[in-house]
Amino acid sequence: MASVKKKICLIGSFAVGKTSLIQRYVYDRFDEKYLTTIGVKISQKALPPITDSNDGQMIQHTFLIWDIAGLEKFDSVVANYFRGAAGALIVADLTRQETIEHLSPLYDRFASASPDAAVIVLGNKLDIFKEDKQTLAALKAKAADFKSELMFTSAMTGEGVEQAFLKLSQKIGCRSE
Amino acid sequence: MSDALTQLLIYKNLGTVLFDEQLQIVEADKRAQELFVSIGQRVHKGQLLDFFPELIGSEEYIKQIVRQKENDFRLDFVNRAIDDERAAFFNLLVLPAQKKNHGLLVLENVTDQAVAEQESNQQRYELFLYKRDPEFRKQFLSESILGKSEAIERIRETIQKLSKFPSATVLLMGETGSGKNLAARVLHYSSMSADAPIVEINCAALPEHLIESELFGYEKGAFTHAVTSKRGLLEEARGGTLFLDEIGEMSANMQAKLLNALETKQFRRLGSTKPIETDLRIIAATNRHLQNEVDAKRFREDLYYRLNVVSITMPPLRELGTDIMIISEYLLKLFNVEFKKNVKGFTEEARQLILGYAWPGNVRELSNCLERAMIFADHERLDAAELVISGKQAQQGKQSAQQWVVPPGGIVLEEVERQLILSALEQSGNNKSKAARLLGLTRDTLRYRLDKYQLS
Repeated sequence: MASVKKKICLIGSFAVGKTSLIQRYVYDRFDEKYLTTIGVKISQKALPPITDSNDGQMIQHTFLIWDIAGLEKFDSVVANYFRGAAGALIVADLTRQETIEHLSPLYDRFASASPDAAVIVLGNKLDIFKEDKQTLAALKAKAADFKSELMFTSAMTGEGVEQAFLKLSQKIGCRSE
Repeated sequence: MSDALTQLLIYKNLGTVLFDEQLQIVEADKRAQELFVSIGQRVHKGQLLDFFPELIGSEEYIKQIVRQKENDFRLDFVNRAIDDERAAFFNLLVLPAQKKNHGLLVLENVTDQAVAEQESNQQRYELFLYKRDPEFRKQFLSESILGKSEAIERIRETIQKLSKFPSATVLLMGETGSGKNLAARVLHYSSMSADAPIVEINCAALPEHLIESELFGYEKGAFTHAVTSKRGLLEEARGGTLFLDEIGEMSANMQAKLLNALETKQFRRLGSTKPIETDLRIIAATNRHLQNEVDAKRFREDLYYRLNVVSITMPPLRELGTDIMIISEYLLKLFNVEFKKNVKGFTEEARQLILGYAWPGNVRELSNCLERAMIFADHERLDAAELVISGKQAQQGKQSAQQWVVPPGGIVLEEVERQLILSALEQSGNNKSKAARLLGLTRDTLRYRLDKYQLS
C-alpha cells in the first residue's frame, strides 16, 4: 500500500481555537484552559485507505496538520510555514468579529505560498455563538472572496469538526466524494 | 565546512545535519545528536523527512537549495513534544553545503526563548480576555484567592454567588492580614464591569473630620481651607464599590452619618443643602468581632445590621493547612521576580517550620518573613535558618510541637532543656514558680531538673 503525507495548515488569529480543533480531530479531547501556541506544532492523523481510481492501488493518506501560531506579522519565515500545503482550514472565532476581518491578509499570504491548496473557512466556537446576521454575513462574504466553502464548528462539543476535515480531505483527493 | 564556520557553530551550540540531493542524511554532528537525545529521539542515517516532517511539502524548494539555486529555508520555533507536559523548540535552517549537491540543516535549541515568548503572549491574551470577558474575569479573580482547602473553596463559592448581586452590601470579617482587602477587590471586579470604580477608605487611618469630608465631599467655603469644591468618595464610587476598611474603628458620630446615607441612599456634601443620590455597593471590613462591639455599645446596632446583609469571615492562615505552602510558593515566585533570584522552593525543614508556625499576622506576616528571607537567599531552596519568625509567637506560650525543628546538624536534647530552663529563670527574674509556669512544669519537677543540671 502506498503511503502519502499531506500538509494541512490551520490558520487564523490568536485564540480562535486552532489548537483545540486539532486536539478534537486528532485526539478527540478538549482542554478548557487556553495556552497560546508558539511557532508551529505538527500533529499526524492517518486517514482511512482509499483505492486509486487510475491503477486500483490502495493509498494510505496521512494528514500532517500544522498548528501555526496566530500571526501578527508576515515575513519569509511565515511563508515557509505555508509552503507546500495541500490544504488549509482558515479559522475565525464566531464570537469575535475582528477575527473575521483578519482572515483576508492570512488567506492572501497562504494563497501566495501555496496557490493550488484547497481552502475551507471555519466559523468556530459555535457552542457559544449567539447568532447574529452581521457576523454570518461577514463570514459568508469572506468565504465567497476566497472561493471556498464555509463550515461551522465547535471544538468544545466536537460539532462539525470531523466533517470539516473530511470535507478538506475530499477536496484534496484523499477521500472519494 | 570552514574552520571558522565550525567554530561559530560550536560557539553558538548549533547542531548540523548533512544530507544529499535525495534528502538522505549523510551525517549528523555530535551537537545535533545531543539536541535530539534531549527530547528522547535519535538522528541517524535515513530519510531527512522521516526525522523532520516539518520539511514535508517543501522538498522541491530544499532540493533547489542543495543545487544552490535558492539561498535558504528557515522554520522558527518548531515544537517537539518531550512528554505530555513538556516540549522543546527548535529553529531549523537549511543551507547549501560546501560539499557539492549536499545541503546542511542547522538546528538551534530555542526552548528557553520560546517559553519566555509563550509566557509573554499568554499574559497578553489573559489581559485581553480579562477586559473583554466577564466570565473569564470571574474565574481569573476567583483563582487569585489561593488555596484548595475547604475554607477557601467556601470563600470562592460565596464570592461567586455574590457576584451576581452587584448591589448587595457585604461585611468582611477576619484577623488582620487574612486577605479581606483581596476578597473585597475580587468581589468588586467579579460583580462589576472592568471600568467600574472601587474606592477605598481606611476608617482607622484618618481623624473623624477628615473621614467626613473624604466620604461626603465639600463645597467651596464649607470650612476654612475649602478653597474649591471636592467630590466625596460616595460620589467617586458611583456605579461601583465603596470599600470601608476597618469599619470597627469608625467613631459613633460618623457611624450615625454613614447609616443615614446608607438608609436614605442620599447624602449632602459639607456646606451644601443639595442632596446627592448614592448608587454604589458597600463592602465593609473589620478585624474586630462586631457583634461584641455592638454588645459593648461601641458600634451602632442599626449600622451593624445594615452592613451585615451578607458576611464573609476570612479564615486565619493557621487554619488553612497545606494551603500555607501554596501561598508561600506563590510569594516565592513574586519575590524571585522582584529580587531577580531563582529560588526554587523550600527545604523540608523550612516547610515544617512554615506549616508549624501559627502566623498571628497571617499572610502579611508570612509575606514579610519570606521577603526578608529572599533578600538574603543565596541557595536553590530556602532553609529554616533563613526564615526569621517573629519572637511574638514565643511570648504567646502556646507554641505547637510542630514548630520545633531539629536542625540538620542535630542537637543534644539535654543541652536544649538546660538552656530552656536558664531562659525561663532569666525571664522570671529567678522566680522558680514563674519559671515553672513558663515551662509548663510543676515547681517540684523544675527543682528536680535544676538539681539534675546543677543549676540550683
